[in-house]
Amino acid sequence: MITLGTALAFGGAAFSAALAGVGSAKGLAIAGQAGSGVVAEDPDKFGNVLVLQALPGTQGIYGLLIAFIILLKIGAVGGSGVKELTTFQGLALFFAAFPMGIGGLLSAIAQGKVAAAGIYLTAKRPEEFGKGITMTAMVETYAVLALLISFLMVYGINI
Amino acid sequence: MLVPMKRLTLYALKNDRDALLLALQKDGSVMLIQTDEKSALPGAEEVTGQLDKAKEAIHFLDGHGAKKSLLAPKPAISYNKFLLESQDGRKAMDEAEALASQIATLRNEEAILNSQAESLNPWLQLDIPLEELKATETTECFVGYLPEEDLEGYLKATEKLLMDTSRFGVGPEGIAMVVIAHKSQAQEIKHLLKEHNFTEALLPKGTGSATQVIQELKAEAAKKEKEAQELEVKAKAIAGQKDQIALYADQMAAKGERLANGGTETVKTFCLQGWVRHDCTESVEKSVKSVTDAYQLDFRDPAEGEIPPSVMENNKLVAPYESVVELYSRPKVGTVDPDLMMAPFHFIFFGMMLSDAGYGLVLTVALFIAMKLFKPQGFAGKLTMVIFFGSISTVIWGAMFGGWFGLEWHPLLFVPMNEPIKMLVLCFGLGAIHLICGMLIKIYTLVKAGDIMGAVCDQISWLIMFAGFFCMGMVDGPIGKYLALFGAAIILFFGGREKQGIVSRLIGGLLSLYNISSYLSDLLSYSRIFALGLATGVIGMVINTIAQMLLGMGPVGIVVAVLLLIGGHTFNIIINVLGAFVHSSRLQYIEFFGKFFEAGGRAFVPLALRTKYTDVTK
Repeated sequence: MITLGTALAFGGAAFSAALAGVGSAKGLAIAGQAGSGVVAEDPDKFGNVLVLQALPGTQGIYGLLIAFIILLKIGAVGGSGVKELTTFQGLALFFAAFPMGIGGLLSAIAQGKVAAAGIYLTAKRPEEFGKGITMTAMVETYAVLALLISFLMVYGINI
Repeated sequence: MLVPMKRLTLYALKNDRDALLLALQKDGSVMLIQTDEKSALPGAEEVTGQLDKAKEAIHFLDGHGAKKSLLAPKPAISYNKFLLESQDGRKAMDEAEALASQIATLRNEEAILNSQAESLNPWLQLDIPLEELKATETTECFVGYLPEEDLEGYLKATEKLLMDTSRFGVGPEGIAMVVIAHKSQAQEIKHLLKEHNFTEALLPKGTGSATQVIQELKAEAAKKEKEAQELEVKAKAIAGQKDQIALYADQMAAKGERLANGGTETVKTFCLQGWVRHDCTESVEKSVKSVTDAYQLDFRDPAEGEIPPSVMENNKLVAPYESVVELYSRPKVGTVDPDLMMAPFHFIFFGMMLSDAGYGLVLTVALFIAMKLFKPQGFAGKLTMVIFFGSISTVIWGAMFGGWFGLEWHPLLFVPMNEPIKMLVLCFGLGAIHLICGMLIKIYTLVKAGDIMGAVCDQISWLIMFAGFFCMGMVDGPIGKYLALFGAAIILFFGGREKQGIVSRLIGGLLSLYNISSYLSDLLSYSRIFALGLATGVIGMVINTIAQMLLGMGPVGIVVAVLLLIGGHTFNIIINVLGAFVHSSRLQYIEFFGKFFEAGGRAFVPLALRTKYTDVTK
């Protein structure tokens, strides 16, 4: 039987994967639009542009990661059967997904904008490609921190 | 370390200049300095023009079947042959250029004809020949378009005038119409038309009905298209001559570089200035001597105000990491080359972030094969080598953390996912060592520059304080507390030492003490090592879990599972190599370089044979 707690934990997993995924999709779209424009001018830059476009894609992966760990924790994957969680355990897992969900959503969109700017930078001055990547990676710091704290929270909940 | 550079000054006769520049280019170790604004030699512009033409011809032929796969090796050519300007290449280039421009013209004409034919579409119902749309003895004729929204007003306004309006189809500019006006009211009607935004149509010249003219135009366009296609076949036939054009392009590029800078000159002599590595002076002298005896060559240390280019030189293991520094910026001349200190940390961090021994093995083998096949040179070669080293480190760390293709197997150290606190301590510990190394380099440069006060008050004081914090956690007794307080006191009293007056000095010290927050955030930044390692491991686990579910679904499931395992793990490797490289570099740029690095060095670009399409064997 699925308890309210278990349902809440599922909610947390869904929240994390969905929001961070939406963020990454938006971020990739912003960077991709800029990238297509640059590649139209100079197809040889495709490799560099693709690297920059890929950077905002990690938040979606982090979101999936937290979702997976929550599912693992409650036994929804791995074949051991879904556990019956108390409401507070479920609520705790739900909250644990917050940093990754919201942090992933917003940081991926922000990172997409910086990646787009980095793509324009690469178009004008290809030799400064590395700086474009570094500046884009600065934004990712906060997605990484969100991932870390979400992980520690999920890890810290005893079931 | 940064290589000391020598300033070269060469005086010689102008008669020998071409030969000397050629010899220097072959030697490839002198970077010439632009001393005059107009130092380019005659003919330089023409050569650049030829180079552009050759590049365009190559691009054109690439579009017509001359493009080779990336794997194809560059054709090799001996140095002596390279010096002979390829006449075949030049001829082929002119041919290709002529074809390209003919094709472009034909296509352009075709497009014009087609758009003319299209512009006639609204006039299909016109039942008289186009050439008869003209004024008669008593009438004036207006042919054009009226915007649809203006039609109503127009009809109302023209009701009582001596005129006739025939309406036809609708084009992009509005309704096609022919207006016949009696000459007595022609002026009035013309104004009226203008008022209602009537635009005159420029109908294509031709005789017969609109349908007939359209057919004629289309036939003409088809003829042009056929001609263009015939020319394209011709272009495909000469695509094989691309190699000659490529050789010519390389020759022009080399010549252009030689002609770009001829130094300052008198009537008979000239003078070149440039930079040479201190260990290359002899080979430069030798190549000059091989051309002429009439020269004066001088090498000296850079004078004050002269900034030589920054050349990094390191041993084989460290040299690839120069590429990581170059991605950021070259070190300023006279400062420390960070490669040696940075390389081990980059190596360790990369491995910890990827942290899967299986992935590391795959990557090591793949990169080894790739390097044997493609032999990447220069910057790309160094970068590949950095990732190759990183993948070896990945094998080591993967084995430590027990990660094998997302599965857990006999960790030598511990599994980070099960013991996250231990892992975080490890990350912060390595981070602390990394940061302290950066501060030690800063102390070294400060002491070398004679700024002992700065070294003690701004760097060592912090180290004392950190040592105190460390002792507070590790050693019993108050020693840690006193050390930390002692360090803090130095910062408080001397951090604002350049300020006047005791109060502003203390405030300055207090502000520098506040820097502790930046050290703290630097340290916390190293937690990304754990997070990125987590990402690799868990995504690998996700792939494995889904594959396991598929395995139970019969033969189709097994096939899909195998495909998923290969594709999924490949994707995971690629995305995480990117992440590991970017983030381990970032830890160097922001956290490590921030402590001591001075950016702003210039690149060393000597006059040399840099061929794009051919390999010159000397």
